[in-house]
Amino acid sequence: MASKVLRTFGKFQHATCLEKGPAALLPESYKKFYREWKLTTPTAVHYTPEDGRWKRNEVTGEVSPVQNIPIPVFFPKESDDQLWGGEGVVQGFQQRSHLSRRVPHFWIPMLKRSVVYSEVLDKYISVVVTDRALRLINAHYGFDHYILKTPACDLQSLLAVSLKRKILQDLQNGCPSYAERPDKQKDVLDQYKKYLDAYTPEEIEWYGYSLAQAVSKFKVQQEKEKEESTVPFKQIFRAQLIEKLKAASLDESNNQMKELEEGNSATSWLSKINPFSKKQET
Amino acid sequence: MWKTFNSALTTAIKAQNNLLPVNGLLYQQARTTFVLKRKHPAQLHKAGCSPKKFRNKHYIYELVKDTNIELQPDIDVILTSVVEGLGNTGDTVSVRPTIAYQKLLLPGLAVYANPENREKYKDIAETTTEVKYSTPSAAYTVKTLSRVLISVVMNKDVPWTLKPWHVKASFRKCGYAVPEYAIELPATPIVGPNMELENKEFAVTVTINKQEKVNVRCRIHHWSTDPIDRLPFIPNFWDNPSEPIIPEQKSVLDTIPPKVARNKSQ
Repeated sequence: MASKVLRTFGKFQHATCLEKGPAALLPESYKKFYREWKLTTPTAVHYTPEDGRWKRNEVTGEVSPVQNIPIPVFFPKESDDQLWGGEGVVQGFQQRSHLSRRVPHFWIPMLKRSVVYSEVLDKYISVVVTDRALRLINAHYGFDHYILKTPACDLQSLLAVSLKRKILQDLQNGCPSYAERPDKQKDVLDQYKKYLDAYTPEEIEWYGYSLAQAVSKFKVQQEKEKEESTVPFKQIFRAQLIEKLKAASLDESNNQMKELEEGNSATSWLSKINPFSKKQET
Repeated sequence: MWKTFNSALTTAIKAQNNLLPVNGLLYQQARTTFVLKRKHPAQLHKAGCSPKKFRNKHYIYELVKDTNIELQPDIDVILTSVVEGLGNTGDTVSVRPTIAYQKLLLPGLAVYANPENREKYKDIAETTTEVKYSTPSAAYTVKTLSRVLISVVMNKDVPWTLKPWHVKASFRKCGYAVPEYAIELPATPIVGPNMELENKEFAVTVTINKQEKVNVRCRIHHWSTDPIDRLPFIPNFWDNPSEPIIPEQKSVLDTIPPKVARNKSQ
């Protein structure tokens, strides 16, 4: 608690979506991904950020601070299974002349269907992309480099981050898609394994899920663990009964063995007896 | 205060996840999209506080640039196999980005010319077993020449022996500039005028850039300066079947594909 007060400089903070509800139980590695994905300011795409901390008005000479306030962008749910390369829909107004009333306008990215090739997965994927996404792929010299180098806040779509998890998992498992071509497999691994250093195995396991997906995955995991840890009474009692039976049968057989021994040693026992000896005193 | 701390955290998260240098490719690439500007700049807010609530006028935007309609620069690729009209294996070529992505990179005919690939494919040109064309367009020239039929027009009245310059002139009439040294005639001399040779075929070997060899189908046609002596006009003479002048060349002529009219509906 004290650490939180220190972190927030004593200012009251409302609980974020990761601190309340079912998401609060999720592992820290997922929360780290979620912060990188949703709670980080993405690269400026729809506006040009100004440089420097202060600027001077050319006319008046007045100095004012530079505050780059991002233009609000929203990502429709369709963008989650497409690759928009960080672009989104801007909703606003156009003022076409200074005398006319402002007109509502949506600035929507131009979409087209294209193919991307993932070298690690060795797969061609047909997806809807924007020009910006293709250009970023070219600028990073390949789809895998683009996906692996770019932080989740700039990838934005669920498809891209889940592909990133798949690629990372494949790299972890040593590229099983190239099992028949060991030379190529080694080549690809050498080229991409540097990206694995940034993540722990648990982080990779929890990378690229939406909040709802992560919660359901966590629930399934918890149930599985619970199932494994709890043993039905039926099994416990059965085991106890078997133990008992085993012990009983052992006793019985021991008794039988004794009897047998006794039977065998009847002559020796008879020979030992001296009927003429004195009665033993206790 | 909190805001500045948060922004510092953001930069730290980015630096941690991003293996690119901060001033790398990603930050130059804010393009191919609508770049907007507020008509009325948002109000300044106190340092450390969250931005002030937007008013309606803060949602009026002006288009700074639409990068979808800007001309994008060419990109460099290294060819990993021969591409007709572009280059040999191992050549670094600069092509339009769409062509490079759709025609070369996706089919696997080329790779990006990044420093690692430049190092990796340094000596692919020497080790490859594929044919090497003298120029990018040499393959096209071979294809075109093996498709055409050249009519070699010879004199009907004056005796002649076929020489390379006759064939050169016939090529020129069809629109091909072929130097004399590039034309190799059959070993058996063709002598005329001989009406038995009329409309019969022979093959010449043309050497392109002193390297690629291609057999070209030719036909003898007799022509006289006197209009009365001229042979009757045969429309589309190339469609009529013909025989070789030199029987040994029959096998060569059979390998050359017959002339196909481009606009002919099949």
